[in-house]
Amino acid sequence: MEVTDIRVILAPAISLLCAALVFVAGSNKHWRRFWMLSAATLKLGVVMSMLPGSLQGTVYTWDMIDFTPGIGLAFRADALGMFFAAVSSTLWVITTIYAIGYMTGDEHRVRFFGFFALCVSTTVGLAFAENLLTFFLFYEMLTICTYPLVIHDETPDALKAGRKYLTYTLIGGAFIMVGSVIVYDATGTLSLGHPGILSAELGTRTLLLIFVSLVGGFAVKAAVMPLHGWLPSAMVAPTPVSALLHAVAVVKAGAFGILRTIYNVFGVDLLEEIGFAVPLMWIAAFTILAASLVAIFQDNIKRRLAFSTISQLSYIVLGAALLTPFAATAAIVHIANQAFAKITMFFVAGAIQRTTGKTNVHELAGIGYRMPWTMGAFTVAALSFIGMPLFAGFITKWYLSLGALESGEYWVLAVMIASAMLNAAYFLPIVYLAFFKAPPGTKLRVAEARPTLLISTLVAAAYVIVLGTTAEVPGMPFSLAQAAVHFVFGM
Amino acid sequence: MAAWPHWLPLVVFAPLLGAVLTPIVSLRSRHVAPWWALAVMSVTSVAALFLVLRVASEGPFSYLPGGWQPPYGIELRFDEFSAVISVICLIGWLAVLYSLRYIEWLREVPKERIPYYYALLLLNLGGMIGFVVTGDLFNLFVFLEILSLSAYALVAFSGEHIAEMAAFKYLLMGAISSLLVLFSVGIIFGITGSLNMADVATRIGQLDSAAPAALALAMLAIGFMVKAALFPVHIWLPDAHAIAPSPISAVLSGLVVKVGIIGLIRVYQIYYTSGVLDLHTLNQVLVWLGAISIVMGAFFAIFQDDIKLMLAYSTISNVGYIVMGLGLSTNFSVIGGSVHVFNHALIKATLFLAAGALIYRTGYRTLTDLRGIGRSMPLTCIAISIGAISIVGIPPTAGFLCKWYIALGAFEADQPFFGFALIFGALFIFIYYIRMVNAFYFQAPVHPEILEVTEAPLSMLAPTLFLASLCLIMGILGRIPLAFIEPAAARLLAPLGG
Repeated sequence: MEVTDIRVILAPAISLLCAALVFVAGSNKHWRRFWMLSAATLKLGVVMSMLPGSLQGTVYTWDMIDFTPGIGLAFRADALGMFFAAVSSTLWVITTIYAIGYMTGDEHRVRFFGFFALCVSTTVGLAFAENLLTFFLFYEMLTICTYPLVIHDETPDALKAGRKYLTYTLIGGAFIMVGSVIVYDATGTLSLGHPGILSAELGTRTLLLIFVSLVGGFAVKAAVMPLHGWLPSAMVAPTPVSALLHAVAVVKAGAFGILRTIYNVFGVDLLEEIGFAVPLMWIAAFTILAASLVAIFQDNIKRRLAFSTISQLSYIVLGAALLTPFAATAAIVHIANQAFAKITMFFVAGAIQRTTGKTNVHELAGIGYRMPWTMGAFTVAALSFIGMPLFAGFITKWYLSLGALESGEYWVLAVMIASAMLNAAYFLPIVYLAFFKAPPGTKLRVAEARPTLLISTLVAAAYVIVLGTTAEVPGMPFSLAQAAVHFVFGM
Repeated sequence: MAAWPHWLPLVVFAPLLGAVLTPIVSLRSRHVAPWWALAVMSVTSVAALFLVLRVASEGPFSYLPGGWQPPYGIELRFDEFSAVISVICLIGWLAVLYSLRYIEWLREVPKERIPYYYALLLLNLGGMIGFVVTGDLFNLFVFLEILSLSAYALVAFSGEHIAEMAAFKYLLMGAISSLLVLFSVGIIFGITGSLNMADVATRIGQLDSAAPAALALAMLAIGFMVKAALFPVHIWLPDAHAIAPSPISAVLSGLVVKVGIIGLIRVYQIYYTSGVLDLHTLNQVLVWLGAISIVMGAFFAIFQDDIKLMLAYSTISNVGYIVMGLGLSTNFSVIGGSVHVFNHALIKATLFLAAGALIYRTGYRTLTDLRGIGRSMPLTCIAISIGAISIVGIPPTAGFLCKWYIALGAFEADQPFFGFALIFGALFIFIYYIRMVNAFYFQAPVHPEILEVTEAPLSMLAPTLFLASLCLIMGILGRIPLAFIEPAAARLLAPLGG
């Protein structure tokens, strides 16, 4: 059932308005905080108010103006889009609280928070995009809006990373535009509201061109190897930005784009028939393992997290490429599972950096005595990535494995096990160092990060546990993911 | 009001007459000149508005001065492509307003000569309007000369030390192209005995030999390519556009190069209708030159530090888009190319006016010197950023839809290579715009005093911001110009049977 509902554009509009207010009248600290927090909460409220309807299969739509004759700037909140929007709205609230604490005293706060809100606005716009052109519009806006955040420190290193970021993402964007042009030329539509708009009659050559352009373009932001180069460099950004880039906005936009391409542009039946997903599956599996291997050797905390992100994102790609309902469930829920766990880790890294000035793994010995709550949150996130039951990551692995068995790709199980061990290999040493390796002779006292940082970290960690334990509770994100899967597979 | 038939002659002769009268009305005080020019352009703009409304509602129409029927009398012809006069009037009006303070500020310009500046500017605008709406080949040449000669003089007007040289280079190339156009008009008259475009189109088709028609076509095409500054005959453009006073740069880059494009469209209208030649070869040449222009324009721009020189090179890239669109000769690509004539005019005028404001306030014109200016002139720099995003063609700005349409056209014409060239060429353009944005916002100033300057006066700031907002509006409401130009594109391509 489709319902025209203004809430679909209200959600991105709220953050857009918030950005405008911050830019125009954001120099007063108190007003700025008030706007940001109220906008974030309001938006979460708007998105959540659509959740009950969405769970029952209602699709909210809103057509704005026609962008070109025939293609509108149109929004459509289906289950998949709602899932992404709900995750990003929730995280916006938490990250805003964290960022307010983290950025205190920074010179360019107005610019920072303005573009921050813009990014979130475009993310929701992206989640609700009804057609590829609207999607592309927000995708490119996201690139532009994150650039000032990446180079926030204005150091030569930051500028260099910014250039690299733009080079990668804009080239990816160009590929997406090529793909969209070909789709429109071939089918006369760009709608994302169907389980696939292409058909096998277009010929393998055209289909391959579309697949490579779209998936290749989105894979840049999804940091699938070998297109991941920008992500570790972009670590020069302030920690809340890294958290945003890694958990919510940028990388998920890429992953979400791949999901849309596979489920709504091609459709699982067509991809099953033409078999393009198989190489993608191999590339994703390779990325999962290779990125984890690289992560083991990173000493800088944020770089280690960056490679872990690269590895984790390919779970989503792998899940999508397996083309079975269980694997699709895994791919979709992993958007949330990875987001909350990874944002916890980044919050921890930022809190440690702000409180103690430490940025490298080897300096962390005994940090657990000083910041027990913070490191506790880190441990929760680490266990989730390893795939312990009761934590969010377990749900992903369970369903991904089921999906692999369903499609007969047994080797994926081996990848899962190897990945779990690799995750343990690069996260558990941090936990071990923090709690069991107190430097001898020093007297350690509890000196936690400031409350804004600590609270948001703990909330994010709590979500990891909630997501891992309540999957079957009705109304949780998991059921939304299942609704999306039912639509995609026509069940 | 829109039905009043005499708007069409008025729109041509108001600025021309106004130009001639400018020195006279400002005999007593030179300060009258800009207000006079503004008044003249206001009248012209009103006329243009009614004409555009009329063509939108009833399609192309003609005006026959004295009631003489073509081909014996002259004809003014207004079709959808002629609607480009709306942009000419808009940018012309804003350029006059902008000049109010800017020209007074140019130290090298003797104050008593300022009325002549406005006279030349009006002459230039009038020449362009005439060129766009004439239905006769010889008048086409006459208006081409009016606008070219005034443009040469305007380039020299800034009085900077290389201004004369730049103007002379422009004059040399311009004269060659005018000559080529004149010769081919002569040939066409010789073989058909007519100068009326519609009449010529039918008569050329009835000739025994196509060779003279082909020769005329080649010379016309080359002549207009020079005016449009297509690679490799672009060499006059960068210096001329960079040295001219900033409002003139906006007019030259936004509008005058488009004259070459409109000229090409007129040639196509004649030759497609006549069906005398297969234009496939010319189309391929244009598409290739367009693609090369996109890349080479961007390539040269990357190495410029002078902000206006950079903008000048990016004009070459954008002309490449348009010419590629025309050459691909599919419905989508012609629509995209024609709309880009409008949109690029707005975008480039935004950029040049904003750059002029920076130069006016700081006296610096290189990116290195201008570092940090974003903090002291935020509004102007926002305008530049919007212009930059538009010109790269990132949605939802004005540049995007044209790019989208031309790329669609490339795939429709089954020449996907050019679709790739277009989309990836645009990325190349982004490299140098990102340098600009970096310098303005994210790099430490070289000259500390740059943080002390204030925004340009309102007469300069308002036109810049207005144009910048149009860059966004034309992107969001892009379907209006696209739908507007569609019948004209369909008519142009109808003889091809597609």
